[in-house]
Amino acid sequence: MLSLLRLCAPARTPVYVLTGCSRAASGSVKDKQPLKKAKTPQGRLDSPEEESRAALQKFPDDVNPVTKEKGGPRGPEPTRYGDWERKGRCYDF
Amino acid sequence: MASVRAASRLLSKRILSKTTAVPAAAVQGSRDFHFSIYGKKTSAKVSDDISTQYPVVDHEFDAVVVGAGGAGLRAAFGLSEAGFNTACITKLFPTRSHTVAAQGGINAALGNMEEDDWRWHFYDTVKGSDWLGDQDAIHYMTEQAPAAVVELENFGMPFSRTEEGKIYQRAFGGQSLKYGKGGQAHRCCCVADRTGHSLLHTLYGRSLRYDTSYFVEYFALDLLMENGECKGVIALCMEDGSIHRFRAKNTVIATGGYGRTYFSCTSAHTSTGDGNAMVTRAGLPCQDLEFVQFHPTGIYGAGCLITEGCRGEGGILVNSEGERFMERYAPNAKDLASRDVVSRSMTIEIREGRGVGPEKDHVYLQLNHLPPQQLATRLPGISETAMIFAGVDVTKDPIPVLPTVHYNMGGIPTNYKGQVITYTEGSDKVVPGLYACGESACASVHGANRLGANSLLDLVVFGRACALTIAEENKPGEKLSPLAPSAGEESVANLDKLRYANGSLRTSEIRLNMQKTMQAHAAVFRTGSVLKEGCEKMDAVYQTLADIKTFDRGIVWNTDLVESLELQNLMLNGVQTINSAEQRKESRGAHAREDFKDRLDEYDYSKPLTGQVKKPFEQHWRKHTMSTVDVKTGKVSLEYRPVIDTSLDEQECAHVPPAIRSY
Repeated sequence: MLSLLRLCAPARTPVYVLTGCSRAASGSVKDKQPLKKAKTPQGRLDSPEEESRAALQKFPDDVNPVTKEKGGPRGPEPTRYGDWERKGRCYDF
Repeated sequence: MASVRAASRLLSKRILSKTTAVPAAAVQGSRDFHFSIYGKKTSAKVSDDISTQYPVVDHEFDAVVVGAGGAGLRAAFGLSEAGFNTACITKLFPTRSHTVAAQGGINAALGNMEEDDWRWHFYDTVKGSDWLGDQDAIHYMTEQAPAAVVELENFGMPFSRTEEGKIYQRAFGGQSLKYGKGGQAHRCCCVADRTGHSLLHTLYGRSLRYDTSYFVEYFALDLLMENGECKGVIALCMEDGSIHRFRAKNTVIATGGYGRTYFSCTSAHTSTGDGNAMVTRAGLPCQDLEFVQFHPTGIYGAGCLITEGCRGEGGILVNSEGERFMERYAPNAKDLASRDVVSRSMTIEIREGRGVGPEKDHVYLQLNHLPPQQLATRLPGISETAMIFAGVDVTKDPIPVLPTVHYNMGGIPTNYKGQVITYTEGSDKVVPGLYACGESACASVHGANRLGANSLLDLVVFGRACALTIAEENKPGEKLSPLAPSAGEESVANLDKLRYANGSLRTSEIRLNMQKTMQAHAAVFRTGSVLKEGCEKMDAVYQTLADIKTFDRGIVWNTDLVESLELQNLMLNGVQTINSAEQRKESRGAHAREDFKDRLDEYDYSKPLTGQVKKPFEQHWRKHTMSTVDVKTGKVSLEYRPVIDTSLDEQECAHVPPAIRSY
């Protein structure tokens, strides 16, 4: 196998190609930093900072404590300024 | 030999029996997928009738719906429910239609929060339309509203609820009790903060129960008209570039508005007024296109609207000199003046050269002088909005804003049943075979100004009305009248011309010219000289369409071609809008002119009527504009049609006599 490598490697310096199995077998290459966790759906939901970033928090049980509306819009009343407001944007007026 | 023939006859009989129509009830009960073709006439034939280079696929249906937004879907499955073989042609996937962006609620006089009556809703809508709305259509809509909302709720739309489990209604959109004398009414039903999204998904889900044939990503080019009757639609399949002719006895147009005529609008890039343009090219009039609803503070570039609450919490509008210019226009109310005053003031500042930005075409909304903590508590989410859409940190920099188009009150004229009408020899005449609903239609329920949360109601009520009218007057499976084999060849010729266009101006350049012209001349600030100048400029831009240059010569998914077709449609809408606005010499609802600040009705309603002489039709402006365009030259002709002042049933609901509109 090594002879093959010498054939395809450049003439000046020998190139050491470490295959996966040889890496595991060698044991000398320590993992200096852990491999990044892949952002699979499972991996993504692990980080807690996503939840707290949401500007509008959900009401407990989805019931607005003031108006007792169930399943209504989150956050302050959208029509409080006369138009339908959410996150500073106006959707209807 | 004879036995072989007999056997083959038997076999063909059996095959034929398999393809006889399955009754609609069985389809509902069965669990077939919607795209199965069991029991359907697969009559798609390919022919060279129009051109050998563009083979045409011919389809036959009982009804065709163009557009799959809220109104289109409701019409499509209403027709399928009634047993009609329906096709729904849409250039977007149904759940991507612009209805999905409507977050406000839907009005209905259900009476869940307090004692309510649909006649009070009727009064509010007539008043909101500044007495330009047809009262029979408004009667129909407000009377059907509770039934429509309950129907949606039965389809599975998850409205928000009160403690008792009834639909929660909130105060919104200029609604009052007891004909304006009983205080604020609570009529607006919503689904959390995504009513339009939920409506569209509910309707789409419901429509899959029926066997409507969806033709998704088919761009409708033109109506097939013969002897003043609409016999179908011709469309381009964007996926493979084939031309399809959909022959049907009934065509419903539900293509939405045309916000993209203006530089700044809240509409999607696909809101290009295709239905209005198809009707114009067919020689039929469009109604009240000059009534376009603006909002003063839309983010420059993005088109998102910033709520008035920003100004309510202390935000101020500044021009290039850093001056709080609203103090000059409204010394008392300042930035809290009414929306039209604010929009006009902003436009005047920009016109006089005090705009900001490299092109000096917008102003700044300053919120950075407010304490960040207060902003975060009173207006949560605004920093996110400003960062995403304007790219500014709201606590440090001002937000660039300018008046933005939100809704088009005008469109294809229809009666209260959804049938498209023309006005000839002093009366409304129905165009056989053609219907319209939704934002593209003008029934007219919104008149000169649309009230909040009435638009979603308009979609479902008139979508259903079109389906009911068609079901009343036709039977499924009726034989189609013959159509000339070369029908639609002008559309294909136009398509071919655009595909190989080799002028000097790109589609995007012509479109930007049109948008800038409309924004500068046909926006909020309207006076005679500005509008006249705008009409001439728009005429010049219209002529440059002949000099268009496209780059993609292919036919498969040619977005360059489709955008150019959309530009042609936008242009037709734009010229009609600006010409209608120039001719209308009064201020009514959303059409406000500096040189004619008052409403000109047949009587002066600010004074008692006794002793007043009724002005003749030609001398007052309480009438609908009917505009037509000569497509070759771009010349707009205008006629006028009277407003319908009687409700459907005077005993049940008396009409509202005109009065001065004040809130």
